[in-house]
Amino acid sequence: MKKLMNKPSDFVDEMLDGLVAANPSLALSGETGRVVHRATPIRKGKVGVVSGGGSGHLPLFTGYVGEGLLDSCSIGNVFEGPTVGSCMEAIRLADGGKGVLRLYGNYGGDRMNFDMAGEMLEDEGIRTTTVLGNDDVASAGPTERQKRRGVAGIIYAYKTAGALAEAGADLDAVTAIAKKTVDRTRTIGVALSPCQVPGSDKPSFTLGENEIEMGMGIHGEPGIWRDTLREADTIADEMIDRLLADKPEGPGTRASILVNSLGATPLEELFILYRRARAKLEAARIAIVRPLVGHYATSMEMAGASISLCFVDDEIEALLAAPAYCPFWTVTA
Amino acid sequence: MSITVSSIAAAVARANAAMEPLEQVLNDADAKLGDGDTGGMLARVIGKMAKVDLASVADPGAALSQLAKAATLATGSSLGTLFATGLLAAGREAKGRETIGVGDLSGLVATARDAMIARGGAALGDKTVLDSLDAVAEALKEAETPEQAASAAAKAASDALDAFRSRPNRIGRARMFGDQTIGIDDPGMLAIKELTAALAG
Repeated sequence: MKKLMNKPSDFVDEMLDGLVAANPSLALSGETGRVVHRATPIRKGKVGVVSGGGSGHLPLFTGYVGEGLLDSCSIGNVFEGPTVGSCMEAIRLADGGKGVLRLYGNYGGDRMNFDMAGEMLEDEGIRTTTVLGNDDVASAGPTERQKRRGVAGIIYAYKTAGALAEAGADLDAVTAIAKKTVDRTRTIGVALSPCQVPGSDKPSFTLGENEIEMGMGIHGEPGIWRDTLREADTIADEMIDRLLADKPEGPGTRASILVNSLGATPLEELFILYRRARAKLEAARIAIVRPLVGHYATSMEMAGASISLCFVDDEIEALLAAPAYCPFWTVTA
Repeated sequence: MSITVSSIAAAVARANAAMEPLEQVLNDADAKLGDGDTGGMLARVIGKMAKVDLASVADPGAALSQLAKAATLATGSSLGTLFATGLLAAGREAKGRETIGVGDLSGLVATARDAMIARGGAALGDKTVLDSLDAVAEALKEAETPEQAASAAAKAASDALDAFRSRPNRIGRARMFGDQTIGIDDPGMLAIKELTAALAG
């Protein structure tokens, strides 16, 4: 697989250098060199919101550092968790004296590292809480939601928790809204072609020329079925059906939808999916608020798409509408 | 006889020297089940630990905590984090004691093992580094001198590797290979065997 890169071992650090050079709102620091944070230090008295994860998913995770979103983010090698040290640095940078929410995807390695970072920082008197993104409906059944992996839908929790923290809420309230948003968000993906980790001599998984995999994870984790490619409308219908079958309890007449490219799939194809998904949702009497279509959470050059639904209530909808700015997502009043 | 800050520093230096020939061996072992980076990762972790200046550290417990913190900067891998978790837990238990007796070693290894079980969610019998540490903790109960402790630990780690070779890996990425892991050494268990051998050597 062809890639624009220099030495594979420099891939992540050179990517981060370029990211912060192109975006003056971001800064890179820490002994590990793997923490992206807002260029302006955290306001005293503001609750911090920190995330982290492996590289290879831009704009996730680092790209969401910005006003009304994340304060800082620790970043690992491609498809590898961030180091405990970088998680500690990210949490310190997000500490305005009122505590820090750790908001990241439900992966074993990331959980270990963030948990350990939090414990080591207890000695420094920084209070932390944790909310895990677990929106991927294909990764475990509805009775085992706590086992599900976190994918694109976590950005809704970034947005609501970030907005509430910006408004001056305390750590418990910021944690509660992140939890509620995660609980009300569902995602499913479909993969059309694989991706390859820089330096590796083969793709992370293989798919036949005319094969797709429904429900595949963002690192190539096995999905629900693998079969021949079909029409976009058929795929969109199945994805929406699966999301609606997993609809959370509570308000369910309005939802934000995110149609996301896994990397190589162009916007054109995303809009074809969106058009059908919207019609399906309207037929199910679900009104769409604040639709998002684009590259929000990717897997290197994997082709395919994911669809997320965030079933909003008044509080979530208002927080999604609050002003926010990061290099990849801007919401204006 | 007891374990002091300077004997801990000497052990780390020895382990670091041992990693040079070991790195490729462990990478090759890991390549059969994972992405072949166990050796490189451990070399980074132990190399970072070897750079810590322990001269001004008060007691062995604090030394272990310092080493744990160094390890956390070197890797995001699960095995590396578990390694740091074990060191940190042992360091906390030993905190404030001027020296660690040989008789305390078994308990400290058991503390590390239990913290690693709690952190990583693996169980004994899953064919991981935990099974090696469990065997080492058991073997250390009988040791009376540092030399006996070192050779007992090396033997226990080697025996554990042999005993688990014919069993399948039951957690982590290796689990996906199922029964194909029968007959293959777990890279973490292999690392413990080789490192304890280096310390006993």
